[in-house]
Amino acid sequence: MGAVEVIQRLFDVIIIGAGIVGAALARELSAYAMRVAVLDKAAEIPSGASRANSAMIHAGYDDKPRTQKARFCPSGNRRFHELQGSLDFTLRECGSYVCAFEEDEIRHLDVLLDQGRRNGVPGMEIISGDTLRDREPHASREIRAALWAPSGAIVNNFEAVVAFMDNAQQNGVELFLETQATGLLCSEEKQEVFGVETTKGRFLAPVVINAAGVHAGEISRMAGEESVRIRPTRGEYFITDKTVGHLVKGFFFACPSTKGKGITVASTAEHNLLIGPTSTPQTDLEDTSTTMKGLEEVLDGARKLVPDIPPGAAITSFAGVRANTLSGDFNIAVLRKPRGFVNVAGIKSPGFTSAPAIALHVVEMLREELSDRVIMTPNPRFVPERTHIPRFAELSMEEREALVRRDPRFAQIVCRCETVTEAQVVEAIRRGARTVAAVKIWTRAGAGRCQGGFCGPRVADILARELGIPLEEVTRHGGHSRLLVGRTKEYWFRGNE
Amino acid sequence: MMTDIRIDVAVIGAGPAGVAAGIGAREAGAEHVVVFERDWDLGGILQQCIHPGFGLHTFKEELTGPEYMHRWIERAHGAGVTFRTNTMVFRMEEDGSFWTMNPDEGIQHVHAGAVVLGMGCRERPLGAIRVPGSRPAGIYTAGTAQRFVNMEGYMPGNRVVVLGSGDIGLIMARRMMWEGASVEGVFEIMSWPGGLRRNIAQCLDDYDIPFHLDHTVTQVHGKDRLEGVTVAKVDANKKPILGTERFVACDTLLLAVGLIPENELSRMAGVQIHPVTGGPVVNQCLQTTRENVFAAGNVVIVYDLVDWVSAEGYKAGKNAALFALDGLPKATRRFDVRGGENVRLFSPQWLSDQEDATIFLRVTKPIEQRCRVTADHGLFSKTLRYARPGEMNEVHIKAEQLRMLPPDVREIIVDVEEE
Repeated sequence: MGAVEVIQRLFDVIIIGAGIVGAALARELSAYAMRVAVLDKAAEIPSGASRANSAMIHAGYDDKPRTQKARFCPSGNRRFHELQGSLDFTLRECGSYVCAFEEDEIRHLDVLLDQGRRNGVPGMEIISGDTLRDREPHASREIRAALWAPSGAIVNNFEAVVAFMDNAQQNGVELFLETQATGLLCSEEKQEVFGVETTKGRFLAPVVINAAGVHAGEISRMAGEESVRIRPTRGEYFITDKTVGHLVKGFFFACPSTKGKGITVASTAEHNLLIGPTSTPQTDLEDTSTTMKGLEEVLDGARKLVPDIPPGAAITSFAGVRANTLSGDFNIAVLRKPRGFVNVAGIKSPGFTSAPAIALHVVEMLREELSDRVIMTPNPRFVPERTHIPRFAELSMEEREALVRRDPRFAQIVCRCETVTEAQVVEAIRRGARTVAAVKIWTRAGAGRCQGGFCGPRVADILARELGIPLEEVTRHGGHSRLLVGRTKEYWFRGNE
Repeated sequence: MMTDIRIDVAVIGAGPAGVAAGIGAREAGAEHVVVFERDWDLGGILQQCIHPGFGLHTFKEELTGPEYMHRWIERAHGAGVTFRTNTMVFRMEEDGSFWTMNPDEGIQHVHAGAVVLGMGCRERPLGAIRVPGSRPAGIYTAGTAQRFVNMEGYMPGNRVVVLGSGDIGLIMARRMMWEGASVEGVFEIMSWPGGLRRNIAQCLDDYDIPFHLDHTVTQVHGKDRLEGVTVAKVDANKKPILGTERFVACDTLLLAVGLIPENELSRMAGVQIHPVTGGPVVNQCLQTTRENVFAAGNVVIVYDLVDWVSAEGYKAGKNAALFALDGLPKATRRFDVRGGENVRLFSPQWLSDQEDATIFLRVTKPIEQRCRVTADHGLFSKTLRYARPGEMNEVHIKAEQLRMLPPDVREIIVDVEEE
């Protein structure tokens, strides 16, 4: 979709932001016969906090009863479990432990247990340090007690976001990438909203939903609503090599403090260890740099829980910026003015977990509060299932053989660390991947221990070929992130042979 | 259906170690020797090493990487070695059999009398050395950049900083300059270079490329494309010294911060991996802890010169063939090798009394004066003009010497010390 084509397009609902909230909402709205556009300024999804987080599906004991977080987290957790099969994303039931080292922390476990029960979290219990170590032999000897919550799970957050959006797109939703909202189109005195001005032209719709993550404050201000005040908070993480992924089975938390849930240790859906995050307030909404100090804090915190984590096992680090708010709770509301504008803002931890439940809630809000602006009739062509690109690395030899016979490109390994084949990369591009980062999100090519050293150039070649663009135009993550700056002297000297 | 293939000796990887292993296996009498290579062409990483400097020991002349490999490949064809290119070995079983895949033949299960692992090594990525900052485009391992420039004819950037002074980094600093890029400097966290001295002279000094020892990159800047790096001097504990930080504008950061033997398949086969070398534990026959699996070259220990890789590959191929033909003499005595104080890594880790042995070792710290490399019990001693971490040293021991050692000797210590 070129910039020139999209001068003015008409939709029923526009969602700004294709993180987990926007994607889950798009998927639920795709069950209705309406035209839905999702706009995201990045070149691939997820790109914001949904991309860089703990990948945890929280059980729901952390949040004070009667908050929106307490309402949506346990139900979001259930929804993730329900949809895992039909949307085909990787979710690993691992359970979670909150670990207490000191007397006051042990007392705090009781508070969490009570909160969890009131929030409807199933199966929780407090276990002794020794019981914990029987189950998890690498847990620190210093841990005296732990709160066990069996419904805690770890998700492949990349896959989950693309799964919701992929299913939404199959059902007719349109996704517009590298399309940044620059203004709202409103009637005089902002009585009602009728569209979004973007870097790619005008998108018109009677309903505009703000799911812009850390940018939700700016979008809300465009509507004249000042109540959404995002306090960006950066969290830094490490990913380790798979050789140490076996050190823990469950998701380990330290006892929560005022700064957040603290450093966690977990084995990811693909059996790397994910450790982090820090929690550093910052003013910049986009700065996802890691720092020496932050990474040291992460490693120290993680080794306090699991002392056997070797300091040298990291294969990469990353940081995410969370959309913290002053109130600390989600801000989900249909505005009176401008009519048609909906805020789904401040969705920070446990925001990822809560998103599918929030999506259902927003659908209900549209039905009840905005029936004058949007008609909710079922989409007769709605298909609730989708399948992911085959995960070649996880298949049996017979299943692999069958794929290879169907398409010989399954026999061409592109990423050797994660055993990703050319057929998978081609399919990711067919489903919308346009950058090296997008191919990694879809297929894990480049997510292994060599971090794209081997497959980077090969993925770039396939992108250029499939998209019919010169190799120099392939980007890492859109914008000005081109991989190459041009041809070599020698190439020109030899006359482009 | 999936086919089962039965052969005498299988070699994984057609780089310098694997091609020589194929020749060694054929010349030792194995009938059906197949080398499996995942790339379209033979030669491994040497395909992209178009600079001269290879083969001084083997051929007594200075060749480029492709020229060097061409000679070995010709010899392999002459010896009757079979090559299967564009064929990935993606899984290995504990019995030493393995699974291959290519678009023409699909998936095949290969059973060989003996296997030689020759997968080489890979470059350490940025994440592994924990450089903080953003993750823009423009950060490449030196080898990836070399592939873009030498094989595909593309420039990865115009203004280059090199982190680490491994040989590929030094070679690429010069190569980028030849292609018209400006090279802002090479920064090495250690107090001595990681690569060969001759490469410091020929790649940096001859082109006035600044070389900063005791320096590292402490931060990466830029959102879309790299905009610069912060560099700082480090103290004796390799921690950045406050106040020495400076910003260096660049659009490209090339990494030459170490090579790691590539042993996923070895691990699947249940071969014991040495924690320091990162490669299989072997004896001087290059036999791993699985008796039908042999290993040679950079998959075992990262060598400085390709000549040694080829020589060890040939030896591994020969012994694999002898094993497959039931002709490899079994050790009657076993000696564990240990490194002395200034020995960072070495291979092989144990010696059998049935074969002459060469032990390759690297020192931890450079010794810039006359020194002596030794094996105890009077097995070996040689005077050196210097010993440097970037260059390997050898210890030669005859099988006969090993057999004559008193019965209570079970360990041999190798060391490098000032005279």
